[in-house]
Amino acid sequence: MKITGFRAETYLMKMDRLVGDANLPSGVEMLPGSILYLDTDEGLTGISLGYGGAAVEGLFGVIEGADPRETVALWIRMNDFLHKAGNEGAACAALSAIDMALWDLKAKIAGEPLWRTLGAKQGRVKAYASGLDYCLSDEELYAFYRRMAKLGIRDGKLKVGLDLKADLRRLGIMRDALSIASPKPGLMIDSNEYWSPKQAVRYIRQLERRFKLLWVEEPARRWDYHGLQQVSRQVGAKVASGENLHTLRDVYPLIANRAVEVLNVWTGQSGVTGLRQIAHMARVHGIEVSMMNAQANYMAQVAAALPNHNMMEVVDPGREHCLRWDNRIEDGHIVLGDAPGFGIEVDKAKLRALQANPPTGSGKFPFPRREGAGLYIVPPAPGEVPWAGGKEV
Amino acid sequence: MKITSAELLRQPGGCILRLSTDNGLTGTAIGSAAAGAQAMRLAKSLLTGADPRGVVGLWQQTSQAARSGRGRSRIRAAALLDLALWDLKARSNGEPLWRTLGGARPRAHAYASSADRFRDDDELSIWFRRMVSEHGFGAGKLLVSGDGRADLRRLARMSAALSLATPYPMLTIDAGQRWSATQAIRRLRAMERRYDLTWIEGISGGRDARGLKRVSDSIAGAVCIGAGFSGIADFLPHLRQRSADVVQIDIGAVGITAAMQIADAAYGLELPVTLAAATGNIHAQVAGVMPNCMSVEIVDPDPPAWLQSDVRVAGGRATAGDAPGNGLRLVRS
Repeated sequence: MKITGFRAETYLMKMDRLVGDANLPSGVEMLPGSILYLDTDEGLTGISLGYGGAAVEGLFGVIEGADPRETVALWIRMNDFLHKAGNEGAACAALSAIDMALWDLKAKIAGEPLWRTLGAKQGRVKAYASGLDYCLSDEELYAFYRRMAKLGIRDGKLKVGLDLKADLRRLGIMRDALSIASPKPGLMIDSNEYWSPKQAVRYIRQLERRFKLLWVEEPARRWDYHGLQQVSRQVGAKVASGENLHTLRDVYPLIANRAVEVLNVWTGQSGVTGLRQIAHMARVHGIEVSMMNAQANYMAQVAAALPNHNMMEVVDPGREHCLRWDNRIEDGHIVLGDAPGFGIEVDKAKLRALQANPPTGSGKFPFPRREGAGLYIVPPAPGEVPWAGGKEV
Repeated sequence: MKITSAELLRQPGGCILRLSTDNGLTGTAIGSAAAGAQAMRLAKSLLTGADPRGVVGLWQQTSQAARSGRGRSRIRAAALLDLALWDLKARSNGEPLWRTLGGARPRAHAYASSADRFRDDDELSIWFRRMVSEHGFGAGKLLVSGDGRADLRRLARMSAALSLATPYPMLTIDAGQRWSATQAIRRLRAMERRYDLTWIEGISGGRDARGLKRVSDSIAGAVCIGAGFSGIADFLPHLRQRSADVVQIDIGAVGITAAMQIADAAYGLELPVTLAAATGNIHAQVAGVMPNCMSVEIVDPDPPAWLQSDVRVAGGRATAGDAPGNGLRLVRS
C-alpha cells in the first residue's frame, strides 16, 4: 500500500458554551477546526483532526509513495527532514497531523481500532472533568460538574489564578457537584502559567489549607524546570505541565530535573509517535502522563495504550459538529468502540455547510497572555466574568 | 482472538515457548529454561483467554506479577511472554514484526561479538576474518580476559581483521565485570593510547553509576551499560546520573515492550541504543523503530540448526525479510 496524496479542510465552529482560563477569563466560543486526509492507492484514507495547516505541503513529499504502515520509520524520516530548521512551530504541527493520519491508516489497514494497534489491552480510559470554566457563573459551574458526575466521573480540574476567595468558593462548588460520583472527588487546579513560581507556592498553600489537591497544572512557565521543581517541593499537590511543549527534546529538562510529577500529553507533541516517546521516557522515570482533551475524545485511542496514563481530560464543550465517532463515557471511563483507526468519520455535508456559512460568536483562539502574568495578579474587572463583583481582595 | 494454550519445548541450553490461539495462530519465543518454566506459570494464570493483540497491556500485568516475585528469571519470563505476544500480534496482522512495530524494512548496523568461545588468538582471528569476508562486518566486540598484555594482543587481532573491511573499524570492549571503575580507567587509558574504542561495557557489574560516570569522564570512549540488566529499574540510575553514554538493551531480558520504553527514555537524553544479541537475530526486527539505535550485536549470523530466521546478515547489516511475525520457524527433526 502506498500514500498517494493529501487533502486538507479548515472550518470554523461555534461551541455550545464559552471556555476560558486565567489568561482569558471572559472566554471564547469560536473554535477553528481542521482535518487532514491522507489517501492511498488502495482506497483507504487516514484522518487526523485539529491542526496541520499549510506546512503539510512541505512535508508531504517526504512520505509520498511510502507504505503508511511504517509509521515510526516515517516519523523518523520527517523528523530528520526537519533537522536544520527543527521540528518546531508550524512544521511540528504538520508532522503531528501527518503522523496521526498515518497511525489512523495503520489501524484501518489492520481493520482494528487504534488502541488495539498500539497494543492496549482494552479500549477504556479513566476520565476526569475539566470545565475550562473561568468564564462560567457559579450555577453553570455546578451544572457542568454535576453533568459529568452523572456520567460517573469522580475528578475535576478547575481554572484558577486571579482571585483567591473566588477560587476557594468555586473549588467547593466543583467538589459538591462531583460528590454524587465519589465521597472524595479528586480536585485539580490549572493556572495556565499565570503565576511566578513563588506566587504559585503562596497561592496554592492557601488553597491547600482548605482543599487537598491532586495536581496543580502549569503553576510556572512551561520550560522553567527550576521553578516547577520549586513549586513541587513546596506544595502538597503534584505538579503537572507539558501541554505547551511539543517534542521529547522540549520535555526532557522537566523529566531530568524531576520538575513535574504529571506530564500532560497530546497528539500535538509530534503526533502519536512523539507523544508515546514522551510517555515512555516519563514512565522510565516514574512520572505519570495525562492525555489532553480532544474533539470527540479521539486521543483516548492513544491514552489506552500508555502504561503510565492516569486519566484523560474531558471538556465536552460541543465541537463535534461535522464528526461521527465511536466512543462513549460510561462509569467515569471513555469506552472506545471497535471502529477502525481513531473511529472518526467526517460528515461531509455538515462540513460543507459550516464552510459555506461560517458561524459567528464571541472571542477566538489563540489565548493571549494576560497582563500581570508572572508579576502581579490582575483580577477580573466587573462584568469580565459572571462571578466578579469588582472588589479587589 | 484468544490465547488458548501455552507450551514449552526444551532445547539444549534453553527453551521454546509457544502460545496458541483459538484461530490457529502460534506465537514463538526463545529463552532460558528457567525463564520458560516461570513463563508457563505466568501464562496459565494471566494470559489464557486474553487477546494477544493487547500486548502492551498484557506486559503491564505480567511484568507486575514478575516484579512481585523473586529472581531474575521471573522478569525474563515476562519478557519471554512479551516476545511471543508481539509475534502473535504481527502474525494476526499477516505482516512481519518490524511492520507491526511501525518500522520500515530494517537494515540495522551490526557488529560481530566474539564472546568467550575461542581457545586461542588464532581461532579468534579466523572467526573475525570469516565475519568480515562472509558478512561484511566492520565492527566487533572483544571480551577481555584480565591479562592486560593478552588483551592488547587480541585487540590487535580483531582490529586487523576488521580493517580488511574498513579503514575505521568500530572496536568495542566487554570488560566482563573484571574491572572496578578505577582499574577500568587505568586499563582503558592504556588501550586508548593505541586504539580508538567506540565503547566499553561490563565495568564494575554495571551497577556503580557514580563510578561509571567517573570512567566516562576519564576516557575518550563511551561507557555502555545495560548488559545483564533485567528491567527498567536497572537502567534508571544510569540515566539519572548520566553515567551511560550508550544504552544496551537485551530484548530477551526485558521484552520488546519495555525495550521500546527504555530506548525512548535514552532518546530523550540523546543517548544511542545498541541491542544485545538475540537468538535468530530477531532484534533486527525491533531496531527499525528506535530512532537512536546505533547497532545490533551478532554472536552468530546464522540461527542454530533447529531454527530458521528471516534475518540475514550481509554487508555489515542485519536485514529482516517479509515473513510474518518474528520470522522464526522451528525446523522439525
